[in-house]
Amino acid sequence: MVTKGGWAGKVLRVDLSTGRIWTEDTIEKYKEYLGGTGIGYKVFWDEVPAGTKPFDPANKVIFAVGPLAGTGAPSSSRTAITTLWPTCWPKPLVASGHMGGHFAAELKYAGFDALVIEGKAERPVWLSIADKKVEIKDARGLWGEGIRRTTYEINHLMGPEASVAAIGQAGENQVPMSVVMNSVSHSAGGAGGIMGSKNLKAIGVRGTGSLRIARNKEDWEKAVKLHLSILGANNQHVVPNSPQPWAEYYSVGSRWMASKGRRWEKSNPAIETGPCDPHQLNRIAYRTNNAAYFLGEGAWQYTVRGNGCTSCPIRCHTLLRVPAVATKYGIPEYGQNTCGGLNFGRTFYRSFPDGPRGQTSIEACMVGMHMTDDLGLWNNYNQIQRDFIKLYYDGTLKSKLGENEFKSYSWDKYEKGDPSFLFELLPRIANKEGALGTALGLGTGYHLELWGISEEEWKKDPALQYWKMGHPKHHSNEDAGQCGVIINTQYNRDAQCHSHSNFTRNGLPVEVQKRLAADIWGSADAVDAVGAFTPMNRAKAKMAKWSLLRKELHDSLSLCNWMGPWVASPLKERGYRGEDTLESLLYTLATGDEKNRDELDLAAERIFNLHRAITIRDMGTKDMRTRHDTIPPWVFEDPQGKPSLTKGTIHMDKQDMEKAMDLYYEEMGWDKISGAPTASTYRKLGLAAVGDELKKKGLVP
Amino acid sequence: MEEKTSKRREAADIVREKSKAGFLVSAEELFPTFDSEGAAKPETGDAPTRGESGLDSLMAENTDLNALRAKSGTSFYYSSQFMSDPYARMLLRKQEGAAELVANTVREDSDRYPRPTPLDVFKESPFDLGPEELHSCLEGMSNQNEFQDISQLTTSVGHVFLYSSKYLDRDYALMLAEWIDVGQFENP
Repeated sequence: MVTKGGWAGKVLRVDLSTGRIWTEDTIEKYKEYLGGTGIGYKVFWDEVPAGTKPFDPANKVIFAVGPLAGTGAPSSSRTAITTLWPTCWPKPLVASGHMGGHFAAELKYAGFDALVIEGKAERPVWLSIADKKVEIKDARGLWGEGIRRTTYEINHLMGPEASVAAIGQAGENQVPMSVVMNSVSHSAGGAGGIMGSKNLKAIGVRGTGSLRIARNKEDWEKAVKLHLSILGANNQHVVPNSPQPWAEYYSVGSRWMASKGRRWEKSNPAIETGPCDPHQLNRIAYRTNNAAYFLGEGAWQYTVRGNGCTSCPIRCHTLLRVPAVATKYGIPEYGQNTCGGLNFGRTFYRSFPDGPRGQTSIEACMVGMHMTDDLGLWNNYNQIQRDFIKLYYDGTLKSKLGENEFKSYSWDKYEKGDPSFLFELLPRIANKEGALGTALGLGTGYHLELWGISEEEWKKDPALQYWKMGHPKHHSNEDAGQCGVIINTQYNRDAQCHSHSNFTRNGLPVEVQKRLAADIWGSADAVDAVGAFTPMNRAKAKMAKWSLLRKELHDSLSLCNWMGPWVASPLKERGYRGEDTLESLLYTLATGDEKNRDELDLAAERIFNLHRAITIRDMGTKDMRTRHDTIPPWVFEDPQGKPSLTKGTIHMDKQDMEKAMDLYYEEMGWDKISGAPTASTYRKLGLAAVGDELKKKGLVP
Repeated sequence: MEEKTSKRREAADIVREKSKAGFLVSAEELFPTFDSEGAAKPETGDAPTRGESGLDSLMAENTDLNALRAKSGTSFYYSSQFMSDPYARMLLRKQEGAAELVANTVREDSDRYPRPTPLDVFKESPFDLGPEELHSCLEGMSNQNEFQDISQLTTSVGHVFLYSSKYLDRDYALMLAEWIDVGQFENP
């Protein structure tokens, strides 16, 4: 019985073509889909017919959050953006992007669980949501401006607490490789051009309301404390990066960087992170320093602080102050981002004069963040950089670009690792200038097609990390063997799933991981040591299904799958166990809708199968196994010729992967021949009507 | 009697504070606390040193306290409330010389995780080996039979890793080192 906690209660709808603004009841229409991607896929199934194109006014873009956003649950600030993905090749299909920041909480406090935008405004507009007052406003004065100025201008009008999700010039120009970004550094790739096609420059949202926690407040506080206690650091790394007195284990691959003597040197005064005993819950924010993780010890001298999202103590964005870049490049000394955003500029280069983690590399990060986070460019999990390096060094650019255009770039600077080269390249991508800028902005599948390069060529080269449909792998065999491969076959863009990789990379010794795996997936054989993969088994298929469902669950509740999955912990007294019922505990207490772990996982399965159904409908085929769930050849080849499934290689065996897909489809209740959900699976998940509609089209096995 | 209890409490607190700060406490460091209660100073080599010294009672009353004995016979104490057993073992190995410290740390990593150990780790706390000390340590190890399982490899970006051939074969160690040093950053 729902007593209406957690959810704000309304879905806001805006038709930019007509200017109509209205609302729907969240619980009445979307409760079985929870929120986030669940609402996104439900709207898509119901309202966006097959054949719609990404930049058509009929395409919709859904900004949806879940019942945990704004509740104060840790790491609960993700906004899922669902739309037709413009970089999905050869045919755009439904997908979702995810941004952190402060947008999710503000939207909830304004009274909305989701915002569905359709149509196209006649002229540039921005959407103002100030609690229940929703207005479409003139954005002609902002059009042509970058994300930063747009954000500041709207914050000037709405107040500093408002969260502004804006597009830059890339989005305005309908560049497929563009982002929407809120709160200056929190972006979702791929959706910027969709907003641009609707003449929608930005969405400003300010909420002054509150949310209700349905159940006992003390139980809620206990659940939040439990979550905090098992949180770990960024990517749920649960051991520190260096030996600490309190720690039984450590791993140099961990993003838990804090240690005695490591300091945020550009704070005034400098702040020592300290050893960060996991029981000190008020020091979680000191654990992670992603700049130091990626850029080495030298980054500590430039660190001001960690930054991040509403109610997330992880602070995965690192705020840097690098005075040299103001002098050398005329850009602000400050920059902040995490992971791909932090490394955007740096990863265009093969090398730097002072090494991969030297001063020049740090400066390339600063220039990259300054440019891309204002222009609103997307990196497609670093595929744009890998493509660029390949195309330049194999001579393609020289042969394909006109002589004048080729000479207009300072290639000597590029080869020397000079960050100022980025000033030549990045604006041209955002503004579709020249053949190179235009092509790179299209995304991999479309620029290969434009230049007459076979996708198969990209699929053979392991260095390119290209997977399929215009997108790269995202935590595949290198992280979790067959489980990682299965996960990477499932989406219409890079998989973005971290449920499996954050577990295998959590830093615990393999014997401990195996003990935890036996509890979660029924057998220690679900996981292997890195690079020592064993043949496929049932537990691995269960792990793959669990990983995907938890990703969808997190995306629907607004929990951050980048920080999850919280089934391990840094606590020795728990035997390093996390809490597999955490999501259902938080969900039940917040909403009052009693659901145990299995019941909530079933909701996630419904959402994931709806994504599958939309993909089947829009591809017009049920033959997913051979036409969608494909694996690139590089996965099956070892550069040194080592046999598959032996120690020291990550490459997979073809027959074994066939078995892996069989077992996975069985676990999902999908037909093994086609890889499509069966009618009984649709029925079991409460999607009988979806199954019936697909059956009429001959799309159910 | 009350004074003795109070002294032991004081001693236990010293061990806890030191553990929290990342240090072991030697038996010798604790003796002054007990001298005033007239406890006999144990002979070096009789470790773990307890007996008349009051250390028996100290350990019995404070179950979080643990003792480790170095090869020299000296006993060291730590509180498991603030220091893990592996960290305490690391500190103990440090007492036994750089070669023991490096070799046993590398063996434990190769066996348990499994993983090769970046050489640079030994320059940081709690190892704190200077570059020259580390260099001469490795050179010395290469000539001693007991350390012949400790091997070196270099990743594609030029970083040196160590591994124990008792637990990792070279190809596997190479692949893991490349993953730690390069791969994980290219697959963030």
